Amino acid sequence: MSLDHLLFKRDVPFHLVEIGLAAATDDELRELSKEMGLSLSLDEMKRIRDHFIALERRPTDVELESIAQAWSEHCCYKSSKVILREHIFGIDNGKVLSRGDAGVMEFDDEYGYALRIESHNHPSAIEPYGGAATGIGGIVRDVLCMGAQPVALIDPLFFGPVDFKGELPAGSKTPKYLVSGVVAGIRDYGNRIGIPTVCGGLYFDGSYLGNCLVNVGCVGIVKRKDLRDNAVGGVGDHLILCGGRTGRDGIHGVTFASAELSSKSEDESRGAVQLGDPITKEPLIHACLEVNSLGLINGMKDLGGGGLSCVVGEMALSGGCGAEVDLDKVPLKESGLAPWEVWVSESQERMMLAASEENVERILDLFAMWDVDATVIGKVVPGKCVTLKWQGVQVFQVDLGFLTAGPEYCRPCKIEVRSKTIREVKPKLPDMKTVVLDLLADPNIASKEWVFRMYDHEVRGGTVVKPASGVLNRGGPSDATVIKPLPDRERGLALAIGVNPWFCGLDAYRGGMASIDEACRNIIAVGGYPDSFTDCLNFGNPEKPERLGELKQAVAGMGDLARFLNLPVPSGNVSLYNETSRGSVLPTPTVLGLGIVEDVRKCVTTDLKKEGNLLYLVGETAEELGGSAVYRQYGGQGGEVPGVSPEGLKRSMDDMHAVMKKGLVASCHDVSDGGLAIAVAEMCLGGDIGASIETEQDKWFMFSESNTRWVVEIEPSKEREFLEGMGVPVVILGKVGGRSLEIGTGDGKASVPLKDMRDAWSGALPKLMG
Amino acid sequence: MKDVKVCVLRIEGTNCEDEAAQAFASVGATPEKVHLKQLLGQCPSDLKRDLGSYDILMLPGGFSAGDYVRAGAIFAARMKSGLKKDIVRFVEDGKPVLGVCNGFQILVELGLLPALDGTMSEAPEAALYTNDSGRFECRPTLLRQERKGRGVFTSGIPRGSVVMYPSAHAEGKLMFPRSEEGKMLDRLLENDQVMFRYVDPEGDYAGYPWCPNGSLHNIAGICNPAGNVLGMMPHPERVLKRETHPDWTRAKWKEDGDGLSLFRSAVGSIR
Repeated sequence: MSLDHLLFKRDVPFHLVEIGLAAATDDELRELSKEMGLSLSLDEMKRIRDHFIALERRPTDVELESIAQAWSEHCCYKSSKVILREHIFGIDNGKVLSRGDAGVMEFDDEYGYALRIESHNHPSAIEPYGGAATGIGGIVRDVLCMGAQPVALIDPLFFGPVDFKGELPAGSKTPKYLVSGVVAGIRDYGNRIGIPTVCGGLYFDGSYLGNCLVNVGCVGIVKRKDLRDNAVGGVGDHLILCGGRTGRDGIHGVTFASAELSSKSEDESRGAVQLGDPITKEPLIHACLEVNSLGLINGMKDLGGGGLSCVVGEMALSGGCGAEVDLDKVPLKESGLAPWEVWVSESQERMMLAASEENVERILDLFAMWDVDATVIGKVVPGKCVTLKWQGVQVFQVDLGFLTAGPEYCRPCKIEVRSKTIREVKPKLPDMKTVVLDLLADPNIASKEWVFRMYDHEVRGGTVVKPASGVLNRGGPSDATVIKPLPDRERGLALAIGVNPWFCGLDAYRGGMASIDEACRNIIAVGGYPDSFTDCLNFGNPEKPERLGELKQAVAGMGDLARFLNLPVPSGNVSLYNETSRGSVLPTPTVLGLGIVEDVRKCVTTDLKKEGNLLYLVGETAEELGGSAVYRQYGGQGGEVPGVSPEGLKRSMDDMHAVMKKGLVASCHDVSDGGLAIAVAEMCLGGDIGASIETEQDKWFMFSESNTRWVVEIEPSKEREFLEGMGVPVVILGKVGGRSLEIGTGDGKASVPLKDMRDAWSGALPKLMG
Repeated sequence: MKDVKVCVLRIEGTNCEDEAAQAFASVGATPEKVHLKQLLGQCPSDLKRDLGSYDILMLPGGFSAGDYVRAGAIFAARMKSGLKKDIVRFVEDGKPVLGVCNGFQILVELGLLPALDGTMSEAPEAALYTNDSGRFECRPTLLRQERKGRGVFTSGIPRGSVVMYPSAHAEGKLMFPRSEEGKMLDRLLENDQVMFRYVDPEGDYAGYPWCPNGSLHNIAGICNPAGNVLGMMPHPERVLKRETHPDWTRAKWKEDGDGLSLFRSAVGSIR
């Protein structure tokens, strides 16, 4: 279909086209959206058409592109906002300092901490190294633009099985290539900017073939007086664009992220992936924080999805103003860009500052010292309109009310609880020793040391509980990582991921609850107390009712539990359309939980400490094996997904926190993937010592993944006080000692040598990755 | 007591300056984070600084200028072209210079280490090469202090004692030109320039992972013949307090981290 008759080239010495929407048929509107890469629906195109008919003029390409960015799923959350508002947004315990690009919570009387997690899924599926690196870059800017110093990076990653032998979805890359590329991208970017990558996760499932999930989180620390709004201060402010130059990389990133991946994504959308440059970012962080702490700026915002088109409009609107921008002042990487390309490019390492006129010179001087570009490109004006000029010609004038009033949909959704419709098939298990070793070698459980030793997780010198806990160079997994963000204070932050896509696949509501429960357990296990959450919701195509149903149920589960605990979710991100020709990814609501640690010197780690100490299980175990690692390993189907009792969780958290504060717990590990047997095995690995545990129950007790449980190690002399402190159920498991894990159940026993466990657990990932 | 002023020097990509400054502050010195351009005069006039006005020079870790050429090469070239005289004077005055990780790489590129025959060699005499594993390695490392003589960095770390400073680098394997390797190592030892060597928990010179990079003779850190310029790959500034040691929950509590004594020694030598 030719659209030429709808395009009117303006008589100016650069590329500027008006689009004759008024005369376009429905088919032509659809085709325009597709040809221009707008990812807008017919109804949305009609709304834009009517707006410009009322204005009695045709939109320019700059205007149409800009509206498409602002109305993309990625920017305006049109499919998810209704759901999020119902379940998540309203939770407020009075400790939220800001809900800007990153959420900010109270840390202590003087400081706040900033937190956010988001996805960089589609770019990473196309170009894993650059996609992951720029994911880090983007999340760091979200924290930075609150005025916060980034202090930790968090990266939960989801891939297809590395040893997958079947046929990949057309056009997609092998999991091994993706894992290597993503990990290298995080390594090279995170290590260079000097922010420790302290926590994360590596998850493997067939549903992620062709559509890996790369979730990136960042935590920052900010003096409350330096906390900035992502808004202009007022009329007369200068808009200073600083950092990297603008180029053709990253054009249509957000609209690309708002559609399913296909075999053609590589060819069509390679240009949508931005290029990262950590050595522009590193001094940019210094310079931005410096001008902020000197009180030279009124507001700051990062350039992410939608580029300038989003940042200028949102900053101006938040400040109750309009803006005029001389677009041709924007420093470019290459000449020949059309105005619309400059306006929507998502080139990396850029920040926008709003500053009063008298401070501009000093700001530019300080940026010059750091050799970081900073350029005044416009100013803040009265009204609610953004106007752009290019070589003196007005190319854009849009009312911010219209631009930012993106659509909101209450799409049809269908709720299925697959665990209720599938008949449960219990798998036949080999002997228990084999089960333990197989599970330890399951890539979802095996040691992630291959990854986290490549990340500098100690830079900034404040990492107290590290990814590995235990004997030097032989550590087991930690539950949460703990950082001390301020060198002169012993108050710390515990960071933990909670997510179980397999639970969510069978029962999204329970799975959503479980993700919150897991994050809380992990924080409690190190001696912290949960304080807030940020979430990255990775789901399939919301235009399919089943997919939207999963989103709704998972969010309801998370929201119900967070609300009961009265813990806010001051920031988050939604990534939809995670589908390929093979189908959707498992519903994956990744939760990053933040906990306050009053004194980091009281932290507890997972590694067993001493022969003769007692092992207790805290919490109740039910036969809840749906989605469990043991079912997945041996072909079980269906089954009850572990539920959460909100009251039980709260009581357990409080009891556990109290006994930990009293110093009664020598080590502690939450029970999650693989169940009790694996939790104790991991504690043995970290302490490089054996243990014996026993139950009268049958073998399933050892592998159930019931929520709200911990294994704790207690010195015999402290046993009584521990038991007196626990109102929630506890049961004695056994003792620390020996060189093997001895397991006894009502229907069998096993003796698993420590050495075999270490070989299985440590060897799995290096063997897969070669 | 004398106020000990420390210049914590940085350019783009230097990223361990906060904890380096904190290290000196926590032993009572007055650190200042200074951009190289402030020493070169390429900045607003109120920000200009003079290297000679400081008592200690610290080159922190990071990826200066991205390490895209050779680790530390660009920072070293920029220092050499504008500051060579000032640096030579600083070293010859006996003032302490400490380079950690990327800072060590910069000292080698500058020719301030090993500097077998004087203050500063014209060309680099050694190199810090890609780890044997081929990977970035972030892990705990145990180091034994092996200098026989006393120097500005060793007063608080007796010969033979073992400290835990963590490593985090991709290029930390000390190498000499192959043909002269034996000869140069002998001279290094004769000059008493080897300060830290990687050992395992039993105190033996062990291979990977205890020596994370495959370094010649398990060398982790060396000083100049005068003993006032020290370069090392591991990071003492990351273990100022016990709670940032990787296995601190397994041991009896004490307040100080292993790194503190190194900074205490350097600052103490000025007072």
